[in-house]
Order: sequence, then structure tokens, then C-alpha cells
Amino acid sequence: MSVLEGKELRIVGFLCNWCSYGGADTAGVGRFTQPTDLRIIRVPCSGRINPLFVMKALIGGADGVLVSGCHPRDCHYAEGNYYARRRLEVLKGLLPVLGINPSRFEYTWVSASEGQRWQHVVETFTARIHALGPAQAFAGTTGPANHNRADAMVS
Amino acid sequence: MSIQDELKSAIMAALPDLSCVIGWGPGPEPLRAAPLFIRGEADLEGFTAGFLSVNNPALYLPSLKGSKVGIVAKGCDARSVGQLVTETLIKREEVHVIGYPCGGVIDVDKVAAGLADACEPGEVGALREDGDDVVLDTPKGEVRLAKKDVTADKCGRCTFPNAENADVFVGIRRAPAAAEDTYADIAEFEARGTEELKAFWEKEMSRCIRCYACRNACPLCVCRDHCIAASREPHWVSQADDVPDKLFFQVIHAVHLSGRCTGCGECERACPLGIPVLKLKRALSRRVENLFGYKAGIGTETPPLLTFAIEESTIKERDW
Amino acid sequence: MSAETVKKFISFDALPGFLARAAEHGTVYAPRREGSAVVYRPLKPGDAPELGARPTESCKHVVFPRSETLFSFAGKADAAQPAVRRPVLTESPEPGPAVVFGALSCDARGFLAFDPVYKGSGTGGAAADTYYLRRRSRTLLVVKACKSALNTCFCNWVGGGPASAQGADVLAVEAEQGLVLDILSEQGAIFAETLPAASEGQVGAALAAVKAVEDSLPKAAELSAAPAALASLFSSAEFWKNESAHCLYCGACTYLCPTCYCFNITDESDGLSGVRLRSWDNCMSPLFTLEASGHNPRPNKADRLKNRVGHKFSYYPSLHAGRFSCCGCGRCIKSCPSSVDIRKIVLDAVKEAANV
Repeated sequence: MSVLEGKELRIVGFLCNWCSYGGADTAGVGRFTQPTDLRIIRVPCSGRINPLFVMKALIGGADGVLVSGCHPRDCHYAEGNYYARRRLEVLKGLLPVLGINPSRFEYTWVSASEGQRWQHVVETFTARIHALGPAQAFAGTTGPANHNRADAMVS
Repeated sequence: MSIQDELKSAIMAALPDLSCVIGWGPGPEPLRAAPLFIRGEADLEGFTAGFLSVNNPALYLPSLKGSKVGIVAKGCDARSVGQLVTETLIKREEVHVIGYPCGGVIDVDKVAAGLADACEPGEVGALREDGDDVVLDTPKGEVRLAKKDVTADKCGRCTFPNAENADVFVGIRRAPAAAEDTYADIAEFEARGTEELKAFWEKEMSRCIRCYACRNACPLCVCRDHCIAASREPHWVSQADDVPDKLFFQVIHAVHLSGRCTGCGECERACPLGIPVLKLKRALSRRVENLFGYKAGIGTETPPLLTFAIEESTIKERDW
Repeated sequence: MSAETVKKFISFDALPGFLARAAEHGTVYAPRREGSAVVYRPLKPGDAPELGARPTESCKHVVFPRSETLFSFAGKADAAQPAVRRPVLTESPEPGPAVVFGALSCDARGFLAFDPVYKGSGTGGAAADTYYLRRRSRTLLVVKACKSALNTCFCNWVGGGPASAQGADVLAVEAEQGLVLDILSEQGAIFAETLPAASEGQVGAALAAVKAVEDSLPKAAELSAAPAALASLFSSAEFWKNESAHCLYCGACTYLCPTCYCFNITDESDGLSGVRLRSWDNCMSPLFTLEASGHNPRPNKADRLKNRVGHKFSYYPSLHAGRFSCCGCGRCIKSCPSSVDIRKIVLDAVKEAANV
């Protein structure tokens, strides 16, 4: 699962500052081992997470996207996660028609004290993404001899 | 009096209190009408409401805010008005809606398919409606096509053919083409599987020329000159002509329309390259309808993504 | 079709094989039907080009790509001073040769509006555009004469015609289950050298076909007064407000237009490395004229449409020997989602200016 055991995949995690980022920290302080595929981006609140963040990552070739915020009724800003819940739940309806496996995206709630739950969430989600394997990035340039931008960046 | 004449009198009766009435008039060729801005009786010449009334006149309302404007509205146009009002993007008292029973509108791409090898749609010299058929004058003689075969897809699943929020309704209300929108088209599309659909969008979006006709034809896309697609900071889309950037713009459009799209289909109709971009919006509309029972542009309740419930009866996010 | 030039013939049956061989020397672009659109795509070996329906887009992107990487850049650490990063630029590869097979005559004429601008004619060649010119010189245009006019066609208003040879290397006319190829340039001769000469009967049939389609066009409108008329209406806000009332100000008209040549240059970077792109831009977009101060001299669609029409029928001709920057292909009319008709605007302007 971890980088030592096989090929690491790219999973982007959007975590709210007040609960889930703290929960991930708690897991770290408690030395709960976790897979290392997740790249965490800290945001002020799950309500700050524009569904387009998720889509930008997935279309850009991320293998998975995980969003985590405060439990409902626990939001630092009282109601940010309620809006997030609706937005992200609706977003799930877009993935299959776009040709993206909907299992590559998930959202959940982890509080700052739930180090063990964080470990469980990361393990479960990473296992799910590994079962799916690496995502195929959307490809295709149309211009004549207009070499791929990504290739240009690599060279 | 014919519906056309009744509509003309309704327009003339309302015009003194309005800066203009938006309807449809002669277009550049027989298969296409053009949006018509009526400011006086002289402008009524060539006014038409019917099979060629494709454009959604509600599109122009946000830009005309501040003066009272009339529109002649199909059922779907009226839904756009309803949604704009619900979102306070326009004021209800600044719009005068003249409704009529809509029997569906033409889809020129379907005409092209129907004409097959006879000629291109751009060579049709005249169009005449004859009962359930349209008769087209072509260089190879008359071609008769069944109206239902050249009517836009959205009309086949239309549940609101009559402008429900009309201030004046002309004619006899028409029964809807379908009792409800089952989203069968989206279910069928989705059933093709993610791998096939990814290839589908890669192929379709490779045609995109980034003209943004889809955005500018959308009555709910009100940001216009301030669209985030044009922003450099944050840099949502690059200027590269590649599929991920172009597809991501469609995602922006669809996501910003979730819970707002009334399904008027103008985005897809406007696309000069025939990219079926409405599918993405309909997938989200279906989702919103299933989760929150909300249909955009009907009623005045707050759109679901602008509000929340503490306990969501239809969302089971704690199940994993 | 002139009498002096060499005429070759190829049957429709032999065409896919011939084009597959041509593709060994460069990319062959040809019209292909995709959904409801017809677009120019690199031809797959063995495929026949779609010559029955007119392409939705022009073929300008073959010479003037929608987005072109001018060069890529990267910040590389200095070996002597690792803390210092120096920019390293990498030029884009040279484009290879290309053939557009089945361009419309209006498409070929469209490049004639590009050429003086990109040759830097206003600066005596000092501002010549390498990127455009190198693709232009390596692109062969095989024009397929139209067999009929669409409702939206007006090539004959602006000096063209359905079988105009202007700008073409080869003019192909349908006759006797094939194409009679009129060879108009040295490059065209090389392209068609393996083909047999057309018979007298085939040439005769082609000439008759050209005459028939030319005769079928409605009479051209007189546009000689248009440049002055549009210039005189520059400040007539009411006129432009009315003409643009139903315009959506999207960019469909400009991006489908064979003569619209405007571009934008942006750096797309990721940290210290990235690419400099040149991509299409259009005067209907607000960003086209937005200034760094936040001021926009063309704040609304009336100003932008005025520029679009004015540029084509007044400003450009005033700089380029009276040639309109319009080839009359009518795509801006045919594909306009709100049915804006540039012919009507120009004629309205002529009428309006005469009345003032």
C-alpha cells in the first residue's frame, strides 16, 4: 500500500483547517501508520471547497480526491460543512457522465480528536484507489505540430 | 384570430409600458429565425412565434435590467425567467411575460440528417408547415419531413409547454409532450461506461474552438465579462488548445449551473461544432432532482445549493 | 479555370490511395464529418475526404493554430552558483509540410487577408511573423470548387466565387466521377505529378460545372460605399446598439472566420518552467481590449460588433489597397447562435450613412 510496497498513486486531499487537518495531525502524533499516497491541501473550511477544485484535480490526472471536514453540527463556522455536503453530493452525479469513475472521489468527516478514524479513512480510501489503479489522464491536442504542453514542461 | 395575430395584439397592448418586447423575426435563412427586438408596430413585420422560435429570449433580460421589458415566451423560456427571478438576478416587476402554447421547435441538425443527400440545410429555399409535416424547397425538389423527426430533443421530454408564469397567455394551453422528465437519455448515456465516455469526451472536445457560444447563449450564465474562464489568477484554464482545458470549461459551466439549469438546451444548440454539452448539465439536474426534488425555474423556493438542511434525509455520507 | 494551365484527373475511387501516398510527405488535412459538424482533420490513410458538405470551420488553423507553443522555458540551476537559476529557452520544433485537400475557395482566399498582415507589410517586412510564414510556405492548398451556394454564401460580393482559384495551389472541380485538377503553382504540380492528364471531355465537363455554379449565384450587392459608410458611423451609438441587440458576443463568428487573424500571447507556467503560447483571440471578447488599469475602451457588445464589422469592411481595406478582410464564406452567419447577419449590417450601414 505504501510507497515501499508498490507504486504510489496520487490522491489529493482537501482538509478543513479546524477538524480534519487536526485529525490528520493527531494521527501523526499518535504514530498511526498510514499509506503515503495522499497529498494534503489545507483549506479554512470544507465550505471553502469549490467542487471545481475536485474536478480540476481529477481532470488533471489525480488518481483520487478525498475531502474531509468537521462533522455536521461541529463546523467551526457553524454551517460551512452543510453547504459542502450538498455541493459534493451533487458533484458525484457529474463524474460518471464525464467518464470518470465516481469511486475516485469521496468526502467524509473527521474531527481533530479522531486520529484513529483518520487512519481508517486514509487506509480505506487509498485501498479503494489502489483497487481502481492509476487514472488515465484526459489527453488530446488538436493543433498541428502543437506539441503537448505537459511534454514541453517535462523536457 | 390566429395565434400570431393574437400575440401581435398582446405585444402592441403591452408595448406602451415597456422599453421593448423580445420575440422572433426573420432570420438569415428559411430554417432559422432571429431574436427580434420590438419597439414599435413597424418592427412587428415578420414577427413569428412557432416552430422556428428557437432562441431563448430570456437570455437578454439580465443585461436589460433597470427598464421594463416584455418577452414572448415558450414554456422553457418562462422557466429561465422564473429561475432568474428566484435568484434575484432580474426583478419580476421588470418583466412582462407573454406566453403561448409551444408545440416544439426545430432542430436544424436533424433537418440536415433528414435531408441526407438532397442538399445541405443551408440550401433550403423555403420551409412550409403542413399539418404534422414540414415541407422544404430544395434544389432537388420538395422534401417532406415529419415534424416530430426534426423537433429538438428537449421538446420530446417537455413537461412545461406553456409559460406557467405568464402575465398574459395567448391561445389554448397545450398538453405536455411528457408527463415527467425521466432522464432516460442520461441513464442510457451513462450506461456506456466511464471508459467509453472518457473517449467520447476526448473526441467531442477536440472539436471545441473555445468560442464560448455555449456560455453566452445560456440565460443563467450571468457573469459574462467576468467569467472565471478568463481569469489569470486563479488560473482555472490555460490558453492551450487541449482537451483537459476545454473539457474543464464545460465542467465549470455545468457545476455553476447545478440546481439552476432549466434545460432550455441553448448551450448545446449554440455550439457551432455540435458538441453535446447539455448532457453534463442534465446529469447534474437529475442529481439535484433526485436528492432535493427541485426543478429549476418552477416555483419560488430557494435553489437547493443556496441553502441546506441540518439532517439531510437523502444524503448518506456516513455510510463508509 | 484558365485554358493555359495543366489539367490532371483523379477518379473518386483512386482518391483515398492517392492521398494516402501524399500523406507520406506531410500531413494531409481534409474535411471529415464529426457529429453534426464537418471539420478539417488529418486524413487517416485509406479514408476518403468528405467533399459533399461544406466544412463548419475554416482551415485557417492549419496555418494559424488555435494555440501554438512559441517556445518553452525552464529555470535551470547555474552549475557554479546553485542558488542562481538561469532561464533556458527551447524553441518549438519546425512545422512539417501540410496539404489541405478540399479547402473551399473562400478558405484559400482567407489567407490572402492574413498574408499582408503577417508579412508585416505596414512595416516594410520588419514585423514579419516567422511562425505564420513558415507554416504558410509549407502548406499546399487544394481547393474544391463548390457545386452550389448556400443561403449564407456571399463570396461574389467580395471578389470571390464558388470556383475562385485565388490563393489556391490546385483547384479541383468535380466531373465524371472524379476531380479535374487545375494546377496553379509549382508546388501543386509536384503534388499532382503522378496523376494522368485530364481528357478534353473531363475538362469540358469541369468548365461547364464551374459556369453552372457561377451562374446560380444571386447577384452581388454593391459594397464600394461600405468603407466610407462604416467610418462615418463610428460614433453612431444608436445604430450599433440596434444592430447588436441580439448578438450574444461569443466568439463563434471570429473563430470560424477564414480571415480573422487576431491572437493573444500568454505564459502558461508551472513554477519556473512553462511555455509561451500564442492562441486565438477575438474582438467580441471583453478581454480583447481590457487595459491593465481596468478601463475597457469597448465595454459593451455594440462597440465590439462595430469593431468586427468595421475592421473587415472599412479599417482593413483602408490599409490594404481596398481589399475587404472578408471572403464571403458566410460561416459567421450560418453558425451564429443568434442569427446575426453581417451582410445586413453592412447594407444597413450603407443605407444609414446615405440618409445622414
